[in-house]
Amino acid sequence: MAKLTLQEWLHRAENNPHFLENVTALKHIPAQNGSYAPYPDWIHPRLKEVLKGRGIHQIYSHQAHAIDLIRNGKDVVLVTPTASGKTLCYNIPVLQKILEEPETRALYLFPTKALAQDQMHEVHSLIGQIKADIKTYTYDGDTPDDARQAIRKQGHVVVTNPDMLHTGILPHHTKWQKLFANLKFIVVDELHVYRGVFGSHLANVLRRLVRICRFYGQEPVFICCSATVANPKEHAERLLERKVELIAKSGAPTAEKTFIFYNPPIVNRELGIRQSALTPTRNIATELINNNIQTIVFATSRLNVEVLTKYLKDRFKKKSPVSDHFVTGYRGGYLPHLRRNIEKGLRERRIMGVVSTNALELGIDIGALDVCIMAGYPGSIASTWQQAGRAGRRSGSSVAILISRSTPMDQFIVEHPEFFFASSPEHCRISPDNLLILLHHIKSAAFELPFEKGETFGGENLEEILNYLEEKGVLHQVTDRWHWAAESYPADEVSLRTINPENVVVVDITDTGNHKVIAEVDWDSAFTTVHDGAIYMVESRQYHVDKLDLERNKAYVKQVDVDYFTDAMTYTNVRVLDGFDIKKPGKIIVEHGEVQVTRKVVGYKKIKFYTSENVGYGDVTLPEKDMHTTSYWFTMPWDLLDTLKLRREEIIDGLTGLAYTLHHLSAVVLMSDIRDIDRCIGDKSGEWFVRHGNDKRMITSSPLSGQSDAQVMVDAYDPTVFIFDAYPGGIGFSELLFVQHDELLRAARDLIKACPCEHGCPMCVGPALEVGPSAKQAAYAILKLIEK
Amino acid sequence: MRVTDKLKRLTGETDKLPKLQSSNETINELRRKIDTVIERSRRIEERHSASFKGKAQPLESVITGEEIVNEHGTFYFTRSTFHESSSHGCRMVGDLADIDMRAAGLIAGSSEIALMNPADGLYLDTETTGLAGGTGTFPFLIGLGWFEDKNFVTSQLFARDFPEEKAMLNFLQEIAAQKQFLVTFNGKAYDINLLSTRFILNRLEDPFINMPHLDLLFICRRLFRHRLENSRLVTLECGILGFERTGDVPGYEIPQRYFDWLKRRDARALEDIFEHNRLDILSMAALNAHLTELVGTGTNPPDTHPGDIMAVARLFFEYGDSVLATKLYEELIHCEYTEVAKETRRQLSLIHKRAECWEDAARLWEIMLADNPLDLFAVEELAKFLEHKKHDYTRAIELIEVILDRPVAVAPFEHDALIYRMERLKRKSGLHLTDNGDNENPE
Repeated sequence: MAKLTLQEWLHRAENNPHFLENVTALKHIPAQNGSYAPYPDWIHPRLKEVLKGRGIHQIYSHQAHAIDLIRNGKDVVLVTPTASGKTLCYNIPVLQKILEEPETRALYLFPTKALAQDQMHEVHSLIGQIKADIKTYTYDGDTPDDARQAIRKQGHVVVTNPDMLHTGILPHHTKWQKLFANLKFIVVDELHVYRGVFGSHLANVLRRLVRICRFYGQEPVFICCSATVANPKEHAERLLERKVELIAKSGAPTAEKTFIFYNPPIVNRELGIRQSALTPTRNIATELINNNIQTIVFATSRLNVEVLTKYLKDRFKKKSPVSDHFVTGYRGGYLPHLRRNIEKGLRERRIMGVVSTNALELGIDIGALDVCIMAGYPGSIASTWQQAGRAGRRSGSSVAILISRSTPMDQFIVEHPEFFFASSPEHCRISPDNLLILLHHIKSAAFELPFEKGETFGGENLEEILNYLEEKGVLHQVTDRWHWAAESYPADEVSLRTINPENVVVVDITDTGNHKVIAEVDWDSAFTTVHDGAIYMVESRQYHVDKLDLERNKAYVKQVDVDYFTDAMTYTNVRVLDGFDIKKPGKIIVEHGEVQVTRKVVGYKKIKFYTSENVGYGDVTLPEKDMHTTSYWFTMPWDLLDTLKLRREEIIDGLTGLAYTLHHLSAVVLMSDIRDIDRCIGDKSGEWFVRHGNDKRMITSSPLSGQSDAQVMVDAYDPTVFIFDAYPGGIGFSELLFVQHDELLRAARDLIKACPCEHGCPMCVGPALEVGPSAKQAAYAILKLIEK
Repeated sequence: MRVTDKLKRLTGETDKLPKLQSSNETINELRRKIDTVIERSRRIEERHSASFKGKAQPLESVITGEEIVNEHGTFYFTRSTFHESSSHGCRMVGDLADIDMRAAGLIAGSSEIALMNPADGLYLDTETTGLAGGTGTFPFLIGLGWFEDKNFVTSQLFARDFPEEKAMLNFLQEIAAQKQFLVTFNGKAYDINLLSTRFILNRLEDPFINMPHLDLLFICRRLFRHRLENSRLVTLECGILGFERTGDVPGYEIPQRYFDWLKRRDARALEDIFEHNRLDILSMAALNAHLTELVGTGTNPPDTHPGDIMAVARLFFEYGDSVLATKLYEELIHCEYTEVAKETRRQLSLIHKRAECWEDAARLWEIMLADNPLDLFAVEELAKFLEHKKHDYTRAIELIEVILDRPVAVAPFEHDALIYRMERLKRKSGLHLTDNGDNENPE
């Protein structure tokens, strides 16, 4: 059979009624002409020559604008789509300045090592062509010790990541004297990645960086680049704590792209169950790869990456004796050399299909692919555009297909394409003054330079925190200065990416004499992915976890071949510690404040491949994890709820359903990742909470309450719905939800009312099997009751 | 709410929540364990502070010294002398001053040092608030030493608190200006590195940036690894200098003692640190004297361990002085330490081999074989020599056969290599015999 080109495939799809049945949007985004500007006259002739040699005879209007502002010492943030030449916006002014004043130094920050490597090669090749004595290096955990000294002294452009800046550079700034004493530019690329916890940390790392620069008498210009988000200027200004100029209008031409929203068919109307997003993903990807159309599939979880990779590998093995690497998985946790091989295979088009987590979303060079399939909404509009941008980066046409899952968020997006195409994508939010985060960085900053009286760092009362740290014995105050007075190295105590820097190493002990490390899992996910009895998958190979050893941070696994995977079950219990604000719309009480969240993994389900049948359960005994964070909640008095004339079980089911809807809608309203927030039903003092067990719901009294009869507790304490920040200390979402309470309830009512299912489904209040048959009606009734 | 209160709650220090009776045994168990740990560390702390009971003593009454005032402030200064007639381990202080500077230059890898005077050396060692490195580690005590005539003078610069650092560093600059080279123990990686950071932080010129530097750690590791379990200064004192400390403060206690001093101003906790530091500096001087003698002209101090001499010989060879290396090795060929003798013969034979002094090399291999006919190295080298230089295939085959008869003597891959060599030898010897018209079947 002759292979189809992408154009032919698209043409067929557009005329296939069977396919179109499930398409909720098919949008051709036409190619766009560029808007250009001449090179500024101050540009160094050799630099200009090299760029012209690369076919760049004039620059885009946004590049000209940025270069001009930077030249004049303005801090800028550029918002530009993929492949719009943003790197030149900083490379031109930086290289120009170094050519003029060879002592000039620049620091580039990228969120990952891989991106830093890519960028270093880019700058390196420019320098090579200019034939100038300009040195550029990456500096990260992989940099050999003997190279480090040369990099510190000679590197004009040092490319690194925030983590290395935090632990390796700032605490040793005197070794970097040459760099800091001449630092004129700081480039922060992929700015939109720095939100939530990571962003809150970065804001503090930048506070420290600026503080060190000032010690050496420098006020460098910040050049930031971001994907399209709603509040780039505000976000940059919050991160940098200074005014920045926004450049948002891209002058780059864009290639033609077709965007398809595909909502899998409903297979059970009563239960409102749609076909799994993985099924059409698998079918479409197979068809495309069969036609030699290079395809990238983004899955929403590591587990889905492995499941899909296995499906695709199975399909291609059956069909023809193609190489095992014709299709492959890609995600964090794969060891670096394997990742580099996959990237290379994609650039060389040896690999025709790759299934990835969002690890490939950012600008790692994998060449231009033809089609991008997203198996599930990536969680934010910015991510969706970035992932779609992986197909057809340079020219020609490309296709992006978003296949929705049965979650309210996915359904909301595919059923409201106008929201996606018209509205600005989400807001980036950070909370740099989250006390735990701030405290870590104040310690690190004190280690770097003593604090002086009157100095500021963040929005909290610095002197009080310094005194607190002195009380803790890590600082020593004398004559209006606070000195670091402890043996430890504070930057090592905190990871920027998570609150807990610990990792669990996965060790394959299949071969007794030859134990191998096959992956790393961060501490928090270890509880749900490598608990005893879990099936852990890497490169679609299955491993059975024999033992999770939390003391040694190791999980011992053996390779197995089974027809199921595992999914952990957890419970969550919340109790209020402190209310920050309160309002009483109608008869309920809405609050936000600080809470204690206790989570425990209690067991796991075994789920059969392909059929997704539940084929068994297992118990897990792992310690509870405690977290203090911020939450938004509302409490409904029983007196009010009882007017509904429903049984209490039905009310609890209704609240469970309502919480499900609110959790998902909160993510849409906040435009945040669904995993950044979480939910719980219980009462304000944590005396009871709702927990999901083996196919049934139960109400549990708190393990601390000592009251074994949960029913007594339920009657005694009014039910509360909690939607809370999923990070210790909170990152500012709760207050926003508190403010948006009315809008949230209204959206929930609309969603439940409009949903075609009968008794609740994953698209509104959650699957009826999980939330109970009366949940949908009850939730709707409760909403009407409590809405203002 | 105050920031501190919020912090305390986030870090779990204050438990303002209602105390609930836990029904869960495992949680109670955990709590008990935690309590035990807390109790234990509290007791350790008590014991620690118990050693300095009673009224705090001021610095001047414990450590004889004076306050120095300069343009950057004040700090505390001590000066004392180890008289030439006093002893340190098995040596007299007066004997330490006369250093072979050519040897010192060799050790430091610095031709500049070779031309300097022993009295121009500045011995330096710091005591710090930790080993973490980076900008947050503070060298609160800088110990210095130098020779005046035959006496060894030590002086210590002490920052009684952080603000005294600048005055102290300024004074260090002045002393450094009067000296020509540095002697330290691990100073390249640690002390000087740290001081360089402190000079930058205090915006002062770093006086050590171009000063020739003799770091004793590296050479000690090279020379004494064969007989000492580690290269820590106290181990070297014991094993090399014959000096044993009594009541020395353990290094890991030093930071905490300084932090305690900052809080309580009780100088008794510091006394041991000053003494520890002074001894460190004197030991560096003694070590330097010993090392320069060892590496000096090749005449060894009496009672030198033969293994040390062998290590020196190897050092010379690596520095390109194979004549001196050969001379030292020759004396060790029949050393009573069999390991030393064996290694010496091996090393020396390789020097001869490289110089193509085949007969000298062969003589050593023969000695080795006489000691042990199964010495694989000697068998291989001698067989090569017999095959390629002497064309004495029969003897070569004999040597190999001896070792092949005892298969346990060699590892499998070595065994294969020997078989291969022997087959080649047999082929060659066959040809050889045929050439000579001999009819004997080579098999």
